[in-house]
Amino acid sequence: MTQEPDREILAGEYVLGLLDGAEKAVFEGRLADDVGLDAAVTRWRTRLAPIDATARPVEPSMGLWQRIEGGLDRVPAPSPAASMRPALGARLLRWWENLWLWRGAAFAGIAAALLLTLGLVAALDRARRQPVMVAVLLTDTNIAAAVVNTFADGRVELLPLQDIAVPQGRALEIWTLWDRATGPRSVGLIDRARAVPLRLDNLPLGADQLFEITVEPASGSPTGRPTGPIVAKGLTARRL
Amino acid sequence: MAVNAAQSQGAGIEQALAACAGGDKNALRRIYDQECPRMIGVAQRMLKRRALAEEAVQDSFILIWRHAGRFDPQRGSGLTWIYAILRNRSLSILRDEKRMETDESPIGQEAASEEDDPETVMAKLSDAKALRGCLETLPAPRRGMVLLAFVQGLSHGEIAGRLGMPLGTVKSWIRRSLIALKECLG
Repeated sequence: MTQEPDREILAGEYVLGLLDGAEKAVFEGRLADDVGLDAAVTRWRTRLAPIDATARPVEPSMGLWQRIEGGLDRVPAPSPAASMRPALGARLLRWWENLWLWRGAAFAGIAAALLLTLGLVAALDRARRQPVMVAVLLTDTNIAAAVVNTFADGRVELLPLQDIAVPQGRALEIWTLWDRATGPRSVGLIDRARAVPLRLDNLPLGADQLFEITVEPASGSPTGRPTGPIVAKGLTARRL
Repeated sequence: MAVNAAQSQGAGIEQALAACAGGDKNALRRIYDQECPRMIGVAQRMLKRRALAEEAVQDSFILIWRHAGRFDPQRGSGLTWIYAILRNRSLSILRDEKRMETDESPIGQEAASEEDDPETVMAKLSDAKALRGCLETLPAPRRGMVLLAFVQGLSHGEIAGRLGMPLGTVKSWIRRSLIALKECLG
């Protein structure tokens, strides 16, 4: 009975699928490093599992296994991050004591200042050029979280309007959907809410096209489709 | 006897997951042969459309393959782990599709099969006596809310709409039902 009742009930709501986008993202972030909460989730899954056993079996259609098998080889090998972890502390210390690192940092600082100057000039130039289309991405509580601007030269950018909570080990992935048959396509991945150019390359771009941001694993969605909760979404509209 | 059969199948799943982590595709196929039909059934209760249910199952098997190495038998059974992946994937599709919907009618408005009604599901729960007994201690409307959420993937708001009740009431009744279930099931 050391378990706080609230945590146990929150875990139950999570397993019932009742936490909405933001609540769910925060909860899953906590799960990663809260063993007690993770155990509460497992207890609920085990308690409710008999309900899944009542589902009527449905014979899979022809080719489902082939589609799965075809997807297995496209999946990247497990990341080597886990095996690197033990040496990380020692390696950081070596870096810290490395003179070249600090010389490099100084030069990088000068270079950054130059780049910022150039960037400022470019930004002033860009400010004169208006976007052709704009999409305001709203959260499910209708708060404007970000804007997508599209420009006549084909550039598309995402500008956040709010800080977005990203659980540790997760990232924000930006998607666009122009055709339901094709499904959403990833156009960008950012570690936190920041301005970013979107890679639309040869993808179509028009009015009433959906853009959305979801919370995904740090290396992006493992399936190539949105898997995490939607943070914000909106449709493009043409400027008058 | 059914319980024993389920347990021995469960152990098979755990061995198969360990083999998947070692790169054995035949092991994934064994899980597929054993669980795929029921997985489609579970996904279809939430997603209604057969094609979406198969999509959820397809994505789930790829995730099972990719994450099999992270499965930890200390933290629940292999079956529970697999169905957790399936339920997460199905819920994501359910919520995404609903919000990405442009012209088609949202999934949530499609009629659920009578088979997925809370009371029909209750009737099928006979094998799992503890859960059934505990659900039976709840008043039928409260039991119904828990089952609508778990079986059909309905949100608080959708349950409130379906039952014509205020959202706050639905939230607090589900919370109280969870407290009661936890006490009853231990």
